[in-house]
Amino acid sequence: MKIRSIRQPIMASLESEDMHIEMRALTKFFGVGVGTMKVLDNVNLTVRNGEFVSVLGPSGCGKSTLLMILAGLVLPSSGSVSVSGDIVLRPLTDVGIVFQRDLLFDWRTILGNVMLQADIRGLDRKLSREKAVSLLETVGLKGFESRRPWELSGGMRQRAALCRALLHDASVLLMDEPFGALDAITRDQINLDLQAIWMREKRTAVLVTHSISEAIFLSDRIVVMSPRPGRIACEVEINLPRPRTVQMRDMAEFIGYQAKLRESIMH
Amino acid sequence: MIKLPAIHRFLENLAYPSVLFVLSVVFWELGARLGWFPSYLLPAPTVIFERLIKTVGLLSHHAVVTSAEILLGFAIAVMVGVLLAVVIVFVRAVDRAIYPWLVFVQVIPKVALGPLLVVWLGFGFLPKVLMAFLLAFFPVMISAMIGFRSIEKDALFLLRSMGAGQFKTLLYLRLPTALPVIFGSLKVAITLATVGAIVGEFIGANEGLGYVLVTANGVLDTALIFVALTWISALALLFYGAIALLERSFVRWHVSHRILTELSTG
Repeated sequence: MKIRSIRQPIMASLESEDMHIEMRALTKFFGVGVGTMKVLDNVNLTVRNGEFVSVLGPSGCGKSTLLMILAGLVLPSSGSVSVSGDIVLRPLTDVGIVFQRDLLFDWRTILGNVMLQADIRGLDRKLSREKAVSLLETVGLKGFESRRPWELSGGMRQRAALCRALLHDASVLLMDEPFGALDAITRDQINLDLQAIWMREKRTAVLVTHSISEAIFLSDRIVVMSPRPGRIACEVEINLPRPRTVQMRDMAEFIGYQAKLRESIMH
Repeated sequence: MIKLPAIHRFLENLAYPSVLFVLSVVFWELGARLGWFPSYLLPAPTVIFERLIKTVGLLSHHAVVTSAEILLGFAIAVMVGVLLAVVIVFVRAVDRAIYPWLVFVQVIPKVALGPLLVVWLGFGFLPKVLMAFLLAFFPVMISAMIGFRSIEKDALFLLRSMGAGQFKTLLYLRLPTALPVIFGSLKVAITLATVGAIVGEFIGANEGLGYVLVTANGVLDTALIFVALTWISALALLFYGAIALLERSFVRWHVSHRILTELSTG
C-alpha cells in the first residue's frame, strides 16, 4: 500500500538510504491560550530500516503523542516526520499499530478481529485468512479463532491485537505501551513472541514503553525521554546478541544497561 | 441443545406469573357473576372472551389496518432516524442547523398535532402513519446519534491507520458500536408507534382498532372495548417480541446478552 503523501524533493536521496523514519524538530502544544501545554520539545529521532527502537520515559512525557505524530494521526505544532522519504501529512497506512488497549471488537471473533485489517484494506480474503490463522498460531492462539474477545484473557487479547497489526506486512510496526496492563509472566512470554516475529520478518519497529527491562529486551536502540515537555534525554544502543532470552536479564551487561537507563530517566 | 435445568428454570419463571393471572381471572369472573360490579363497567372475562371469538372476522380487518399504520410509521421512523443521525454525525453544519430544531420539535406534544394532521391529510391512512412516525422517530434518532458518537479515539485511529475513510469507519466501527443502543430505542419506538397509530385513529378514522374503541365507547359496549384492548395488546406484544428476537440475533455479542449465551453454551 502506497503512502499518500508529498514526495520530499532532495533530502531523502542525499541522506542514508537505509533511514526509514526521520523526525525533525518536532514540537507539540496541546490546548490554546492560557491552558497551552508543551508536550514535545524539539524532538529529533531517526530509525533505520529494520531497526527496533524503544522510546522510554515516565508517564505523561509525551511519548505516546510522539508515536501518534509519527503515525500521522496527530499533527505536530512544528517540525516534520518523514517515512521512507515521504513527509507524513495524513494518517500513515503502511503501518501496523498496537495500542495500549487491545481495541478488539466484540462483534467480531478473534479471527475476525485480525481480519479487520484485510477487510478494510480490501486485501485478498483467502490469503489473509491463511496468514491470520498462522499468525494466531505463532502467538499461541490456535483453537481460539472463533472465540469472542471477552472470552479471552488480557494477554491473549493483546496477542490477537498484535496479529492484527502484523497481518498486512506493513513496513512499520508501532506499539504504544501495548503490554503495560499485563502481568509480568505474560509480558515476558509475549515479549519473546514479539521478538521471534520481529526477527523473522525484520520490520522497522517503534515501541513506546515505561518498562526499562522490556525496552532492553526488545530493542536495538533505546531513546530516553525527559518528563514534560518531552525531550530526548539520551540514546542507548543495546548490543546484546539475539535471540535474547529471559535468562539474559541476569547477565551483568543487561543489569548494566538497566542501571544506566534508570540513571538517565531520573535526571 | 437446551439442557434440563434450563427448561426447569424456564417453567419456574413461567409458573409464578401464570398462577397470579389465573387467580385474578377467577376472582374477576366471580365478582362479575356475584354482581360486585355492574357489567357495563366490567364485563365478566367469559363474556369478553365470547365476544372476542364472535368478532374475530371483523376485528382482524381492523387489526390489519392498525398494524399497517404502526409498521409503516415505525419503518419510516427507523430509516429517517438512523439516516438523519448519520448526517448529523458527519456533517457539522447540519448538526448545528438542524439539531436545535429537532429538540424544539420534540418538546411539542405531537399528539396535539393530530387535528392539524387531519386537516392536512384527511381521515385516511396517511395521518395515522405520520402520527406513528412522529412519536417513534425521535428516540431512534437520538440513540443512533449517541451510538455513532460513542467510539474511542484510539479505535478511530486504528481504522484510519488501515486507510478507512468516513464510510468504512461508519460501516466497520460506528454502526456496530451503535447497534445495541439502536435496538434499545427500537423497543421504545415500536411501543410509541402503536400509541401514535391508535391516537391517530381516535382523532378521526373509519377503520382500525382505535376507531373500534371510539365506536364501542360511544354505545357503551364495554365488552367490545375490552376486545379491542386485547387485540391492541396482542399486537403490541407481537411487535415488541419480534424486535427483541431480532435484537438477540443481531447483537448477541453485546454485554447485555452474554449471560444468555453463556447459559446456553455452558
